[in-house]
Amino acid sequence: MRRVAWLLLFCLSVARGEDVLHLYNWNNYVSDDTLARFEAQCGCRVRQDYYSDNEEMLAKLEAGAVGYDILVPTGNAVESLIRRNALRDLDKTQLPHLGNVKAEFRQPWFDPANRYSVPYATTVTLIGYNIEKMRALGLPTDTWALIFEPRHLEKIRGKVTVLNSQRELMAVAMKYLGHSVQERDVAKWEEAKRLILRAKPYWATFSNSTYIKDLAIGNIWVAHGYSNDMFRAREDARAARRPFTIGFTTPREGAVLAVDNFVLHKFGQRPDLAHRFIDFMLEGGNAADVSNLIGAGNANAAATPFIRPEIAAETGIFPPPHVLARLEMLRDFEPKMRRALSRMWTEIKVR
Amino acid sequence: MRKPEAMPAARAQPADRSKWVVTLPPTLFLLAFFLAPALIVVAASLRDPGEFGGLAPWPAHSFDAYRFLFGDIIYLEIFARSFFVAALTTLLCIVLAYPLAWLIARSPARRRDLLVLLVILPFASNFLVRIYAWIMLLGPANLLYTPFAVIAGMVYVHLPFMILPLYTNLEKHDPALLEAAQDLGASAWTCFWRITFPLSLPGIFSGAALVFIPVLGMFAVPELLGGTGDILIGNLIKEQFLENRDWPLGSALSIMLTVAVLALAGSAAWAARKGLHGTEAVT
Repeated sequence: MRRVAWLLLFCLSVARGEDVLHLYNWNNYVSDDTLARFEAQCGCRVRQDYYSDNEEMLAKLEAGAVGYDILVPTGNAVESLIRRNALRDLDKTQLPHLGNVKAEFRQPWFDPANRYSVPYATTVTLIGYNIEKMRALGLPTDTWALIFEPRHLEKIRGKVTVLNSQRELMAVAMKYLGHSVQERDVAKWEEAKRLILRAKPYWATFSNSTYIKDLAIGNIWVAHGYSNDMFRAREDARAARRPFTIGFTTPREGAVLAVDNFVLHKFGQRPDLAHRFIDFMLEGGNAADVSNLIGAGNANAAATPFIRPEIAAETGIFPPPHVLARLEMLRDFEPKMRRALSRMWTEIKVR
Repeated sequence: MRKPEAMPAARAQPADRSKWVVTLPPTLFLLAFFLAPALIVVAASLRDPGEFGGLAPWPAHSFDAYRFLFGDIIYLEIFARSFFVAALTTLLCIVLAYPLAWLIARSPARRRDLLVLLVILPFASNFLVRIYAWIMLLGPANLLYTPFAVIAGMVYVHLPFMILPLYTNLEKHDPALLEAAQDLGASAWTCFWRITFPLSLPGIFSGAALVFIPVLGMFAVPELLGGTGDILIGNLIKEQFLENRDWPLGSALSIMLTVAVLALAGSAAWAARKGLHGTEAVT
């Protein structure tokens, strides 16, 4: 329905010769209200298409999709787009609010001079859990041992899910073992594989999305997943007046951080509107959108006063500096390493 | 697979040209949308993975993907498991669909359309929504994330594809055959086993093809309903194209699956034809 509405709007605006900004975005990253205000301010239309993972977006662009002005890729996908020469340089003179970006998110490894990207939303991959159950069973919730150590897992057999993602799951296994997620030594990854295989019999399943519902209705007590999903599970459980609460904590061994960024696609037709939009989204009240809508972390310092207090105070969403220091972003490996890790992952799935 | 119908010699002549006219569009369609993409996949499987996904520039090519897959028993295991799940699903579909299709075919003509409509009705809601409904059903029963859940989901999704061809076949059976058999003293079981069942084989074969092959490629059901060990070949292929961004490996797996399915279908057709000739020789 919404797509049809947008299509109609698009046709209308083309017929009237209006200015249109094309955004290829994650769902629920900008509120309708914010969009409406931007459209009123610039006298243009914003048309959005959505994707649900970076690969989907990259594959569509690889297949030759043009016409998008702005994309919102995660760090490793930004690097991939830069290497493919698919991005346009930002003109910082058109971004007066750039100073609102938090210092810790400036100059990331994937774009050292912020030539192409403006950070927007952040997510931590961590542990979500049923607070009452964990308390009753006396289990620790601030360590990956909860999902990897049989002595803990024995009490929650079949009540644990982990992400169905080679990169995410093997990364936290590496973190638990005290290695970097960018480790190049295959032997250390083998160690992570053995850790996972030892814990696997206790897990219910590998899940990328169903764990939100499973946590919220009490099927599952512990889940390895994304902070914004845990936030949603907590809200859902609360709305359904369940007799339990969902909590989430970044384990003390460290975890994986994902940062989503605004970038300009090289083939976008309206870099002028795109810059206006990015600057508009850099204003605190607008940047707060993504946190208020889906419980994502925020890379914008000016946004903090506009974020609902219960979200702003959540350390699982906004890691304090000493936790942030222990988070690592995922970075793509070269093909040979990817194949070796994929082989281990297949073994994890089959054994 | 189907018994070739003997065409009267007199009719063959004029039908020849129109046969070409009629079969040309589907042939072109298959060439353009099956053969050409399949060849592209073959080509992709022989190239090197690009540094950031996709394929490395053209001249680089090798058999690495195949060497990697054949050098490791683990991939064979996944193939074996997938074929087992597909075979089991097909078998369960036959067992469940047969009585239902028979019942529909034997019910009064005016009610038949309604019953067929009821069989198709689940398609009115989205496939994923229906799988999520199974999550709701299986969760409280403690059956979610088990191999049982995968099989249940697979059978549920594919059952209509078995019922419809079976029904179409059973509906055409001449009741007079059964009456004649009964008059000659055949028991109900003999009637079924010697008359209805052999006549319904073409329906079973087309239903089996419609169930077996899609199950082999299905990745959503094991992903949503299956546990930690329920990986099928479809999941592995999807993973190579998306998360692992190893297109050559994914392509090689797809080609191996296609070849395995074609080989299986070919040998089934060959066995069926041989069986047919065998019985003809006896009679």
